Amino acid sequence: MKYFNLGELNWKQTQLIYHALAYKNIESLVLNSPKESFMCVGLPQNPQDEIDINYCKKNNIGIFRREIGGGTVLLDNNQLFYNLIVNRNNPIVPHFPERFFKKFLQPVVQTYHEIGISAEFRPLCDLIVNEKKISGNGGGEIGECKVLAGNLLLDFNYEGMARAISSPDSLRGKFLELMRNNITTVKKELNIIPKKEEICSTLVRKFEDFIGTFTKGKLDTEITKKMSELDKLYSSDKWLYQRGTNQIGREIKVREGVFLFHKSFGTKEGNEGITCEIEKNLIKKVTFTNEYLLSNIDKKQFKEKLVGLKYDRNILSNKILELIKKMEL
Amino acid sequence: MIEINGMKFPLDRKYYTKNGAHLWLKLEKDSIKIGMDAFAAMMTGIISFITVNKKAAKSGESIGSFESAKYISKLYSPVSGKIIEINDNVLKDPSKINKNPYISWIFKIEPDDKKNKSKFIIEDKDKISNWITEEIKKLEIK
Repeated sequence: MKYFNLGELNWKQTQLIYHALAYKNIESLVLNSPKESFMCVGLPQNPQDEIDINYCKKNNIGIFRREIGGGTVLLDNNQLFYNLIVNRNNPIVPHFPERFFKKFLQPVVQTYHEIGISAEFRPLCDLIVNEKKISGNGGGEIGECKVLAGNLLLDFNYEGMARAISSPDSLRGKFLELMRNNITTVKKELNIIPKKEEICSTLVRKFEDFIGTFTKGKLDTEITKKMSELDKLYSSDKWLYQRGTNQIGREIKVREGVFLFHKSFGTKEGNEGITCEIEKNLIKKVTFTNEYLLSNIDKKQFKEKLVGLKYDRNILSNKILELIKKMEL
Repeated sequence: MIEINGMKFPLDRKYYTKNGAHLWLKLEKDSIKIGMDAFAAMMTGIISFITVNKKAAKSGESIGSFESAKYISKLYSPVSGKIIEINDNVLKDPSKINKNPYISWIFKIEPDDKKNKSKFIIEDKDKISNWITEEIKKLEIK
């Protein structure tokens, strides 16, 4: 297996590299950081639903839609990216996602431990310190390979993330607050940021202990040619704005089990926005955008019927519709 | 019906075993309904997205993808043929596959060859039982 310790790259190259290596079936570990900030969405997401595209364009924030899973995230120079690319038939590779993440995130957990942060794996694929996320991950199959893509959060631009997502303005403040309460960074935990090179060396050593010795890889013309080819595809509007399944309402994920859900519902008095805060996958708080609407229903009772329910966006949406119908009568 | 470790495998259909795909095939008059089996429904995590983006399929080739547990897996076709229908109900709420895998078919295919002979398609009770037992063992090793 090869390793590519690439230092700082143009933002798009940080994503193209692991896609190209997977398509070229080159088993490898890739480490890098982007020079610039950009927004990155998972395959099922449509940037038009997830991202404030005008804001990103005005502020030169790039947008990338990757071929693997995970959520919408602001990626920048204060993060260290790792990608593990393994052939799908390699006997060390677990077939199912949760086991895949649990296994291959162990070297990352150990890297955190070595720099003095007691991170632990939390399914599905978060790394957590004192109930706060310190690493985001996604994965999937590209070509003949399985790919893990994740980041060590050295520092995090909470405000930048809250501003760049697509969201009703009323939700941004809440999202920012939830991120601050649920996402931590190396800087916050240690009060300093160790040198990226030192962290990279530790990551390589921990992955080697786990998988076997790596040989140093070189970005040859075969790989760079594939990156250019993929760049054309991924930069096209057809790829970038391809619509997946229409989702019900707007769900903003902060970390595993912590979400904001917002949807506008038609009522006899007009459209009413309802926002639910979810913690540990349970509905914790319900708020109305226009408190003066739905004047003939008991809002306290309405909220009580939702708080504590297990979160499932389809079921929640139907339940709200049912409650509005029933209570408006 | 076979039941192994709480997972049910109805014997009114065939199963596709290649590369851990865990798909079932139910023969209808001129077509085959295809969905995921109980093993996949249990092990893969809650499915949040599924897409079928090809109109024709070749046996063993990817015809779409699905997301579960922040991981994108490929969706394979067990047989070659023309995809004639996709289950919109499942596309809208793919977690139906986790809840009821044998009702939640994903796509319907008109096969090029109605015999569907492949070493990766099994229907014999003992073969299904041995296959699932082996799959469980593999999980314990990895």
